[in-house]
Amino acid sequence: MTKSRDDRDDQNKANHDPGRRRFLKGMGIAGAGAAIADHLWTDAEAKEAAATPETLSGSVRVVLDVNGKQREAQVEPRTTLLNTLRNHLDPAVTGPKLVCDVGTCGACTVLLDGKPVYSCLVLAVDATNKKITTVEGLGTPENPNAVQAAFVEQDGLMCGFCTPGFVTTISAYLKKNPNPSLAEVKEACKGNFCRCGTYPRVFEAALAAAKGSSV
Amino acid sequence: MQQQPQAQPTPKPKKKIRVPRVVNGVEQMVEIEVDEDTGPGWGPNDKHKLLNQRLTRVDGPLKAAGVARYTYDQRLPDMLYARVLRSPHAHARITKIDTDAAAKIPGVKAIIPAPLSEVRFAGAPVAAVAATTPEIAGDALRAIKVTYEVLPHVVHAHAAIRPDAPKVVAEESNLQEKGKNGDPQKAEAAFATADAIVEGEYITSRIHHACLETHGMVVDFRGGDTATIYASTQGTFTIHGDAAKELGLTESAVTTTVEHMGGGFGSKFGLGLEGMLACRLSKQTKTPVKLMFTRYDEFVMAGNRSGSWQKLKAGVKKDGTIVALQARQYRLGGLGPGSQAGQPYIYRMGDTYREIYALHTNEDSSVAMRAPGHPQASFAVESLMDELAYKIKMDPVEFRIKNLRDEVYHRQLKRGAQEIGWSRRNPVAGGNAGPYKRGMGCAVGTWGGGGNDQCKVDVTISRDGSVLVAVGTQDLGTGTRTYTRAIVAEELGLTIKDVHERIGNSKLGNANPSGGSTTAPSLSPSVKDAAIKARMMMAERVAPLLGNPKPEEVVFAEGKVSAKGQSMSWAQAVAALPAGGITSHGVWRSDLQARGVHGVCFAEVEVDVETGHVKPIKMVHIQDGGLPLNRLTMESQINGGMIQSLGMALWEGRVMDAHLGMQLNPGFGDYKLPGSLEIPEMVPIIDDDDKREAVIGIAEGCIIPAVGALVNAVFNATGVRVRETPATPDKILMGLMNPNILSRG
Repeated sequence: MTKSRDDRDDQNKANHDPGRRRFLKGMGIAGAGAAIADHLWTDAEAKEAAATPETLSGSVRVVLDVNGKQREAQVEPRTTLLNTLRNHLDPAVTGPKLVCDVGTCGACTVLLDGKPVYSCLVLAVDATNKKITTVEGLGTPENPNAVQAAFVEQDGLMCGFCTPGFVTTISAYLKKNPNPSLAEVKEACKGNFCRCGTYPRVFEAALAAAKGSSV
Repeated sequence: MQQQPQAQPTPKPKKKIRVPRVVNGVEQMVEIEVDEDTGPGWGPNDKHKLLNQRLTRVDGPLKAAGVARYTYDQRLPDMLYARVLRSPHAHARITKIDTDAAAKIPGVKAIIPAPLSEVRFAGAPVAAVAATTPEIAGDALRAIKVTYEVLPHVVHAHAAIRPDAPKVVAEESNLQEKGKNGDPQKAEAAFATADAIVEGEYITSRIHHACLETHGMVVDFRGGDTATIYASTQGTFTIHGDAAKELGLTESAVTTTVEHMGGGFGSKFGLGLEGMLACRLSKQTKTPVKLMFTRYDEFVMAGNRSGSWQKLKAGVKKDGTIVALQARQYRLGGLGPGSQAGQPYIYRMGDTYREIYALHTNEDSSVAMRAPGHPQASFAVESLMDELAYKIKMDPVEFRIKNLRDEVYHRQLKRGAQEIGWSRRNPVAGGNAGPYKRGMGCAVGTWGGGGNDQCKVDVTISRDGSVLVAVGTQDLGTGTRTYTRAIVAEELGLTIKDVHERIGNSKLGNANPSGGSTTAPSLSPSVKDAAIKARMMMAERVAPLLGNPKPEEVVFAEGKVSAKGQSMSWAQAVAALPAGGITSHGVWRSDLQARGVHGVCFAEVEVDVETGHVKPIKMVHIQDGGLPLNRLTMESQINGGMIQSLGMALWEGRVMDAHLGMQLNPGFGDYKLPGSLEIPEMVPIIDDDDKREAVIGIAEGCIIPAVGALVNAVFNATGVRVRETPATPDKILMGLMNPNILSRG
């Protein structure tokens, strides 16, 4: 019922792309379970799944490439990438935050092969063989990337719980568009919520980072 | 045998002052006796080296790199994950809980019932589960079979007020009188002298704190003599007492820590339901338990800002003098009493009479939310003020100045008008041409923001030169860590980097919970006191090396310690300290803080009159607050106040289903928070004309007036008076379609 809503070519091009925008596009209007399932399972995928009788159950071993390191975990197939990072890797990777767990807030944003995704919407078993970059992989307190440094300078954070998501989103966006306008920054951040109300300074931080140096 | 009486210290001179005490985030004024204060003050606001400057947050790098460790990030060896089973019914008796199937699921370690046999709101906790993963805990919730005897419920105020409405609590009226004030006859008589009268009903929806870090705790108890609790809390010292009772330990055996916390906005005090359940699960399993609410839990059981329903009638003379006000105010706090400031809030309105009631529904109790009760009262009275001004064709800014006694508002209103470009405003509501209509509105707000004498601060200077300031307080994202360091660094003539802070631990010096904007005015005087004392202790030590000056003659500046024309580096100076360094103990001084803040907000919006869509264009908020400890973070808080109000004014509101008794929008997909695309140009202004050399809390003052300013701007743009928040397109279109029917009144 919902296929016609999305551009066919777009869908075919990105069969395995759990990109945030594309997912939200499917969610936005209906938010109905059917629509989501329909959206995520393209015909090709459904056929592929039908042809592969293997069912993952119990727990499985996954090897994830997190911030350049091979990390192993034993998880149930239903475990999200977010919960795997936070609850199953040892030591834990807790930069990405669990806030809504349903792909509405952006606090769990990580980069999957360089593209921002909501890690609460990705299963760990689907994230193997992909390069996963979390906020911790972008820089450290001592050696921050330009976006992280700008967030501190411009006071783009208060409680800081949304910050990893914003930093990750903006870091990826500036690679795509190194010289954005304010309107473009706002557009890039629309998948991330902040509750303290730091938005104006998040925008300033993004613009300052773009101006300052490469990310 | 007679005991020798102990030598009594000479009593210090005392004075009485009024200070706010915060009970669950609600401010109450009490009179206390304190020592007559002496000692150096802050000095002029424009003479500081670090304070009143733009200091980046000391915890900023950790947060930006994602390595700041929040409660939600704690993961302890063998830790179990807990989840809460919620009632689907708004009112029911629990007759049976069958946990057999759930208990058999591998990985489920404990199932406990919640302490209620009757649930009075949908989402009420029924049971809690601890399991080896959160996913398995979720399975267990689905496997628990609960038998309910369903009872009648009511979730909407207009239904709950009917005499035949289902009773929220058996044998008790849903409507409870909370107070009357003024003389109804005098007010009634005064209306006769009015040239114009405005009567309206104003409603604010319940809104949610929506803290990004949900409520929750990690209880680290393994059956021994001690426990540690990691809590997402606004009060480090509000947890361990009740937790100790739950765990069967002594209070001092329980330590609470809160290194960083992901938002509270008034909703996170005390052990709470989540902490109680976590303690019980941990006690039963002798294993650490983490219980963080899910987002759904957070919406339906972590509290909210109470709604309001206010019936106001005011009379005004042609010259702008308000002669009378009658107000009937209903606080819509669900099971709780709710909160609402009494009308006429801060305006002079001649003869006034008000009645306040709590009107109960089958919803979870509201809890404190940033300036409890004030945005509700402010929205109603600022709308009323606007209506009165338009009715007598007086400029709304001028009209406010006429009816506000305090001249601080006068200057702030004039400045705000200038900043927003009030002169560009079309005085005729809806008078601009075209489908995109712009308009402007304004409003004012007040708050206390005074401190109290709870904070005990230690400053330790070690012989290696390091400086540590320690106190158990918590940083909610307000910048507490940063100014705590800055006060000490400035006093000792050091840089921010030379001082470190240790906070967020109940084994450190006591500190007040962060409610009522009391943290900065309570904490900073104690920090300052400790810093001054440390400076004096150190001055005594180095005096012999500097030609024996009096301690107060020793100057600490720019990393040097000097006196009598001699100077030494910090490293040389600290070498004079004993092996254990020195530690000073700071206590609160009332003269270093004050109370009473003023703020005004101006807003410009653009309304598409074909769709009813409101686009915020610009917001200006001017806020005084005595000595700004840190301009950068203070501006951020002002922005935050404006943005949270923006949500309340235009988008946010809990939607309840009358039949099901459930919330229909318990998630960010349906509960609309302000997002990046809606943020207008924002101008946070610190009112430097406030010359008080005292610290005052501002976090709440700056959230109050924006709701009124925005909705008044919608009126100026369209001619539609929306009397119910959020001012969504449906209400605006309704008003546009039939100008004779004011939206919902």
